[in-house]
Amino acid sequence: MPKPRPTVPHDPNPDIAHGVPPVAVSSTSTRVNRTGSWKYIRPIYQDKVAPCNQGCPVGIDIEGYMNLLREGRLSDAVDLLLRENPLPAVTGRVCYHSCENACNRAHYDEAVSIHAVERLLGDLALESPPAIAPDRNRAETVGVIGSGPAGLACAYHLARLGYGVTVYEAEPEPGGVLRYGIPEYRLPKAVLAGEIERIRRLGVTIRCGVRVGRDLAFSEVEGHDAVFVSTGARQCRPLGVEGGDLRGVLPGLGFLCRVTRGEKPELGRRVVVVGGDSTAIDCARAALRQGAEVTVVYRGERDPQALNWEEIAAAEREGVCFEFLAAPLAAVGDEDVPDVSPLDAVEASFGEAGGAGVKAKVAGLKCVRLKLGEPDAAGRRQATPVGGCDFLVPADSVLVAAGEDAEIGFLPEEVAREAGRVRVHPLGGTSLTAVFAGGDVIDAPHTVADAIGSGKRAAIGIDHFLRQQAGEKLDGQEPAALRFGPQGNVSMARWRGDDPVRRVGPVNDVVTYDMLNTAHFVHAARYPDRQLPADRSRAGFEESNLGLTRQDGLAEAGRCFHCGVCNSCEVCLIFCPDVAITRRSNGGFQISYKYCKGCGVCAAECPRCAMAMTREGL
Amino acid sequence: MSQPLIKDLIPREELLDSGHLACPGCGGALAMRLVLKGLGEKTVVSLPACCWTIIAGPWPQSSLHVPLFHTAFETAASTAAGIKAALSVRGDDDTTVLAWAGDGGTFDIGIQALSGAAERNDDILYCCYDNEAYMNTGIQRSSATPWGAWTTTTPAGQPKSHPKKDLLAILAAHGIPYGATACVAYPADLMAKVRKAKTIRGTRFLQILAPCPPGWKTADDETIELGRLAVQSRVFPLLEVEDGERWRFSMEHAGTPVKDYIRRQGRFRHLTEEDVERIQKQVDARWKTLERRVQASADL
Amino acid sequence: MKKVVMGNHAVSWGVMLARAEVIAAYPITPQTQVVEELAKMCGDGRLAARFIKVESEHSAMAACIGASAAGTRTFTATSAQGLLLMHEVLHWAAGGRLPVVLADINRAVAPGWSIWTDQNDTLSQRDTGWIQLYCETNQEVLDSTIQAFKLAETVNLPVMIVLDAFFLSHTSEPVDIPDQADVDAFLPRREAQLKLDVDDPHTFGALATPAVYMEMRLRQQEAMDEAHEVLRRVDEEWHQRFGRRYGAIEGYHTEGAEIVLVTSGTVTSTARHVVNECRARGEKVGLVKVRMFRPFPTALLRQQLAGVPQVAVLDRNISPGRSGIFAEELRAALYDLPSEKRPRIDGYIVGLGGRDVTPAVIEECLNRTRVAGPQSAPQREDVWVGVKA
Repeated sequence: MPKPRPTVPHDPNPDIAHGVPPVAVSSTSTRVNRTGSWKYIRPIYQDKVAPCNQGCPVGIDIEGYMNLLREGRLSDAVDLLLRENPLPAVTGRVCYHSCENACNRAHYDEAVSIHAVERLLGDLALESPPAIAPDRNRAETVGVIGSGPAGLACAYHLARLGYGVTVYEAEPEPGGVLRYGIPEYRLPKAVLAGEIERIRRLGVTIRCGVRVGRDLAFSEVEGHDAVFVSTGARQCRPLGVEGGDLRGVLPGLGFLCRVTRGEKPELGRRVVVVGGDSTAIDCARAALRQGAEVTVVYRGERDPQALNWEEIAAAEREGVCFEFLAAPLAAVGDEDVPDVSPLDAVEASFGEAGGAGVKAKVAGLKCVRLKLGEPDAAGRRQATPVGGCDFLVPADSVLVAAGEDAEIGFLPEEVAREAGRVRVHPLGGTSLTAVFAGGDVIDAPHTVADAIGSGKRAAIGIDHFLRQQAGEKLDGQEPAALRFGPQGNVSMARWRGDDPVRRVGPVNDVVTYDMLNTAHFVHAARYPDRQLPADRSRAGFEESNLGLTRQDGLAEAGRCFHCGVCNSCEVCLIFCPDVAITRRSNGGFQISYKYCKGCGVCAAECPRCAMAMTREGL
Repeated sequence: MSQPLIKDLIPREELLDSGHLACPGCGGALAMRLVLKGLGEKTVVSLPACCWTIIAGPWPQSSLHVPLFHTAFETAASTAAGIKAALSVRGDDDTTVLAWAGDGGTFDIGIQALSGAAERNDDILYCCYDNEAYMNTGIQRSSATPWGAWTTTTPAGQPKSHPKKDLLAILAAHGIPYGATACVAYPADLMAKVRKAKTIRGTRFLQILAPCPPGWKTADDETIELGRLAVQSRVFPLLEVEDGERWRFSMEHAGTPVKDYIRRQGRFRHLTEEDVERIQKQVDARWKTLERRVQASADL
Repeated sequence: MKKVVMGNHAVSWGVMLARAEVIAAYPITPQTQVVEELAKMCGDGRLAARFIKVESEHSAMAACIGASAAGTRTFTATSAQGLLLMHEVLHWAAGGRLPVVLADINRAVAPGWSIWTDQNDTLSQRDTGWIQLYCETNQEVLDSTIQAFKLAETVNLPVMIVLDAFFLSHTSEPVDIPDQADVDAFLPRREAQLKLDVDDPHTFGALATPAVYMEMRLRQQEAMDEAHEVLRRVDEEWHQRFGRRYGAIEGYHTEGAEIVLVTSGTVTSTARHVVNECRARGEKVGLVKVRMFRPFPTALLRQQLAGVPQVAVLDRNISPGRSGIFAEELRAALYDLPSEKRPRIDGYIVGLGGRDVTPAVIEECLNRTRVAGPQSAPQREDVWVGVKA
């Protein structure tokens, strides 16, 4: 506050009585000049969307919790995260973090290790569970089929929206691909159990050992007011080239399921894994832990920028070999007739090569080198075989991880489908009223994060549907209005209208790197995840990536640029030549338009593009 | 990664009021605001003819929360010396007497008084906010105008044909206890220098680069960016010199191409590629000189 | 205590007794002894002042202005070129209503270079707003210096004490130096009402638009008007304390005079001698000494000279293109007298560049006036006496 100014000079000279003092001595402040009348544009605070928020398939307000962490509000950060993502300890470990690929800091030095911060918050939430109480305030119930990430997410959000939810799970334990498709060195069961427990505590009922279409008719599930189908995709695709029926050529996901159930499936000494996604890499690392020499044959190139690079790097550290830019031509067998072995039973259970005959055993995989062509209009480069570059990878087991198909035969005809997947609207609705779908069963990227994201979208879709059914007037919240940026996933907080984050003049535009003013940033290296030493991690199923310590995690969160959202750095206030910006007592800043001359220095200097210049109001 | 945040390095108290008459985006206004923050309330300002004569506000207004004496063009330093002597003789040796002048009143018409004060080591803090021309009278050249710049008295056909006077070196030659260059684009550095200067007795000099949108023919919102470019391109390096002989760079200067700085400004629009290269060479040569000075200081 | 003191040192004594607090000065012949003595007085502690040895007279006045604006008692001394160099800032002191006191040793202005006395330097500053007092003796110099501070600080206008180069500055005369305690009683410490004060911050001297500038000048003029009375009071008080008075003007043997000489500075002393001789011869010749030139003592001069048939003004100065400045100002002052009371005025230019104004020169001026008689109008406003053809 400026000191109170004396208004009358202390001169008892009778000249003062004339009104003009003997010398030009000041008696008032220039604050009487409304220099704001000079401007023709004016600055406003305008929160925008951080690219990580848009890049997150789950639709998490990443920037929001980074900002809360900056303020030291740890439990509020956890709370904000849990409003959008019920499984942060999971995603912090297994998500391919497209948020980090979108992170603007990557252009400055290194992307923020968002996954590590999310994992830290997820683990903290498990350590000290925040009290999210059940809040059953609606009469309707919803049936969720499948307790994988999509189903769990949908159930969680619906429960928080006030519905009664029952989840029907075919396996003896819940989790879906999280349990059976991801080994413990990547996702410990205890972590998964904790996340699921949180969902149970909301009042969600999970009924295991119930396969819809076998133990329970679909029509019975339709007894709920709405249904969410998230049965996943577990049908392993075959090798697709000659020799796919040789003994020892096995479905990769099947192998993993057994490993995660605690079994030690029989496997050769030299294993080739075909494929490059998470399933393939996990097959490789699991096979390694069984003592095999493992080679992965992968169509993609060696690319540290690739989404799954860390998994590939971890596998390489442990001793897995990779043949990049290679594709199988054929599996070749040895000429000996093999003994009938328990392997046959395994094959038979996966419906391969039907039972009776004893096939030849695989001895190797013939592969061809690929080369990448010029980028097409969309920037994609086509891989084509290089003539005369065939090579053989000797192997006595081939694990095929070439993708999985969904089993949707149990769904009524009315549920439209395409190319083996259920067709859905933007908020998860199918062509059958009251039936929604998400996860691997729909045509979306097959990742855990996308599945969780689809579960949230469907929860919103179901809530919208049921409220309409109940006669409520809804404002027609278009999915677009709920998205983080034009291409992001939807925000539950926006749907519910209870976003705890204070936003100033928000617009749904994403901030790109060129919109930032990096002059006010300081270079700082990214904290790398702590890893078990390779020889220890490959020896068993102990969690191999230990993430960051709490201190380092919070420091890493401190590297966040807060793109598009004010974090009270005060750069605008400091650089204003007209002292026209002041702090508000409850946070944020106030521009005095009475004095602001519209120079625009504040907006130009804002490191994170959280301001804009506008002609409005003038 | 615990870098102090800029907001924690700048004092909160404002000693400058809004409603002052500076142009939008004025570097000189920001310079005064920041320097007063660093000096605090016990400051008396001696202000000769310059933009600030107008910025401060016409009678009966004032935009400052400290006493200000408007004085004749040449006399910033001599008036300040008189004020300081008066305060001192009446027992106040704490109040800082700040001479606040533009480049005209410092490099040209005021240099005699400044030299006299410096030679006597009068206990004043002299701040020159340098916008590189006589801006208040309508953009005429001064000896602080850089080579090649357009001004109304060095029009495009005959731009400034002499290099900018090296005033810091001149004052260093007087042996003053402290001299430095600073820039409004680096407020934490400026603040540190002001605070340091405040603790030193004798003649202290700060030359603060203050970009001027109308005079440099740049947009109102580019002031800070221009300051950064000036420093990082080494056109206006940030230095300190103590006791006239110990030179030090205040920070890393990236050495970005001078043309990135030059081509942003309308006052250099008429320069050819050769002209810009020549400026680059001048800047590079001067930088080497400064490096040698700094190196020689390290050996002292 | 009585001391034989040169004129310059009389200034120094006055400044010391007045307890000046800030002195800023630059040497110039024939002022140097003023500041040298003051430097010694500061050096040995007799005067507790800050003495800034500035690098030019312009800076000297600027420093005085700064110090005065900060509320202290300030002083400087100069001469000729130095005073001219200060010109811009003389205006600042007066317009800024700052009670700076300056001693000018009247010296002819270059070119050609001259160190000897004439009055052009101070008179060419007559429009700067300074009060000007022209001294005749070293005693008057000392007394006027001390009085100047009181006068200045009462009306808040700067005061110039003027003394002739060499004839006063370097001439020693016996001077009665008052006691410090008596001077302190006459002139206490300055307590400025408006000053640069961090506890009560104001801006001084900001832009004054056409709407207000004129009023500020009017205030300044009103202060000049007030100075007549203040000078009288100060003079009276000095007389009561120290037994000496000088007035704004002094009449000498003016009773029934037919011709009155008007002089200033040391020419006055020589003129007194000539007047004595005239009176001894039975000639009715008188003398008016003008001490205060600004504000111009119009009323007093009208009173003194109304009805005097002839006036001969001796100007040791010239305003090129016009006439001697005292003559010019006197003519204007007496213009409004009823015509029968208005004297005929002869203006004589004497002693420029230090040329000696001897009794013979004064006698020649008187003669020309006698010969011209009271009725005819002068052919020229300025008659140069003592020049080679």
